[in-house]
Amino acid sequence: MRLPRFFGKKRGHRRTGSQAWASLGDAAFHAALLVAGLSFGGLLVSGVAVPEWRINHDFLPTTCEVLGKGLMRRAVTGPGGGSSSTWQPCLRVRYAAGGTIVESWSGAARSTITADRDEAVRRLSAWNIGGSVPGWYDPSDSGSVVLERGYNWPMWLLALVLPGALIVLGGSGLVRTLRRWGRSEERCAARSGLSGILDPLAAATRHAHGHPAVPSCDDFVNSPGTFLRFRLPIESPESWSLIGFGLFAVLWNSVLAVLAVGAGLDLLGGRIDWFLIALLVPFAVVGVAGIVVFARGLLLATAVGTTQVEIAAQPLLPGGTYDVLVAQGGSGGIERLDLDLELEELATFRQGTDTRTERLTVWRQRVRSWRDLTLAPGTRFEGRATVTVPETAMHSFTSEHNAVGWRLVVRGAPVRWPPFMRAFPLVVVPATAEERRVGDRRPSQVAP
Amino acid sequence: MSTSSDPRPPASHVLVQFCHADRQYEPLDALTVRYEVQGLAGEELLAVEHSVLWYTEGKGEEDLGVHFFERIVDQQQLPSANAPGGFATDLPSSPLSYEGVIVKIRWCVRVRLFFVGGRDFVSEYVFTMGQLPPARMPMATQS
Repeated sequence: MRLPRFFGKKRGHRRTGSQAWASLGDAAFHAALLVAGLSFGGLLVSGVAVPEWRINHDFLPTTCEVLGKGLMRRAVTGPGGGSSSTWQPCLRVRYAAGGTIVESWSGAARSTITADRDEAVRRLSAWNIGGSVPGWYDPSDSGSVVLERGYNWPMWLLALVLPGALIVLGGSGLVRTLRRWGRSEERCAARSGLSGILDPLAAATRHAHGHPAVPSCDDFVNSPGTFLRFRLPIESPESWSLIGFGLFAVLWNSVLAVLAVGAGLDLLGGRIDWFLIALLVPFAVVGVAGIVVFARGLLLATAVGTTQVEIAAQPLLPGGTYDVLVAQGGSGGIERLDLDLELEELATFRQGTDTRTERLTVWRQRVRSWRDLTLAPGTRFEGRATVTVPETAMHSFTSEHNAVGWRLVVRGAPVRWPPFMRAFPLVVVPATAEERRVGDRRPSQVAP
Repeated sequence: MSTSSDPRPPASHVLVQFCHADRQYEPLDALTVRYEVQGLAGEELLAVEHSVLWYTEGKGEEDLGVHFFERIVDQQQLPSANAPGGFATDLPSSPLSYEGVIVKIRWCVRVRLFFVGGRDFVSEYVFTMGQLPPARMPMATQS
């Protein structure tokens, strides 16, 4: 028997790896997830779900006489070695089970469980010695009695969600791997009905009708412009960075607040935890720095007014000429405002455990520049331009890890603020044979 | 280009002939391929797969889009030394072949032979769809 090779063929400057070993590893990983899900689910079902279901369906009702009271202590040891306890009131009860009289201890309702022993003792006073309480006993083991029925829904949810997620992830991954096992990459890549279900991320990209691998421009034509036909959506990676900084600042400072409250309560109680205080100082520095970075980013993003770009048509064709409107809001002076047409390549690749995306502008053409603009609050600058897509332009292209995209880029240099750059994606579709034939007779989208 | 999953040098090979000798096609053109399997040396074929596909090359992970695929398992239809194989399809409107800087798109025809012993052998012939000039103006930014 021959084992599969670790390394496969070499393409370009990369080795593509062994498909067989990759499939084996993938199958083992998903099988492990599936087994973990089934095991965990089995434990939860047998340990929680089945006993609870039996209590609600099989146990028989009876009347219990309270003979004694006590507290049941459950000690839990934490990961740091410390332990905590919970207290549950318990009753010694006597009841009739199938013609015999049985005595047994049973815990009171779950809602009576508390971490405070004094509170548990107080709750015990709700029952009187010699009083009667309803109970349910196990017909197959009359010594087993409960004083409360019902379902612990959070536990059921846990029993369903956690193992369920593991089973779905592991099962779908295993099915996907097994479907690919021994098949050529072309056969796997050929469309099939199950592919979208088993690999939803890969099937997420929408393509233009009749143009495979060209992104759909549905999202670019749903916003009408004020002067031209469409207002282009803004592509703003800076906004995502800003949201990231904001989330970081909120989360970090929330943790900091919790620690600070703990330290403050200690101080009020006359205790000083020097270790906690020493820990708080660098935490506070990072927290303040996070807020400053977020506030600065927010200020820069909002200080310069909004930029809007409208265009006469979407999608664009190679060789086509289109009217464009650039509108810049805000107040103050702008030394320079440039409008560029760019072609950008995007490649996503794995580097170790990181997934990185490299962007490269491979073609750029200045469409128009405006100088020394003065913006007044409540009004906006509006400039017209004409964009021509090169006759031999590559069309927009998108696949799972690679893309080629056209965009209009507005670069501004405000007098009092740092320069800014805002990009507005376009979709260029390949020209049909008919469109290529008509060439210069192609109708342009330029106002007379 | 021919590759095999067997470490031994493959004895068999596939000679492919395109309907356009220069392998230059336009979108929506008809593509007809004839091929001949040589050097089978008694090895019995189990199946043959024909595909017309594009793939990406460059810095990113490789993506693949299959435009045409057929798998032949009927022994009567399998190619042999005396009976060359062939297939035909109409090309789609996109993507066009593209020679970018970090993203390249190549179209190719693949003929994959599956032998009875479990070995498979693939032969790949690249062709061009469209006539785009190569992109050359690197201005890199990395995120």
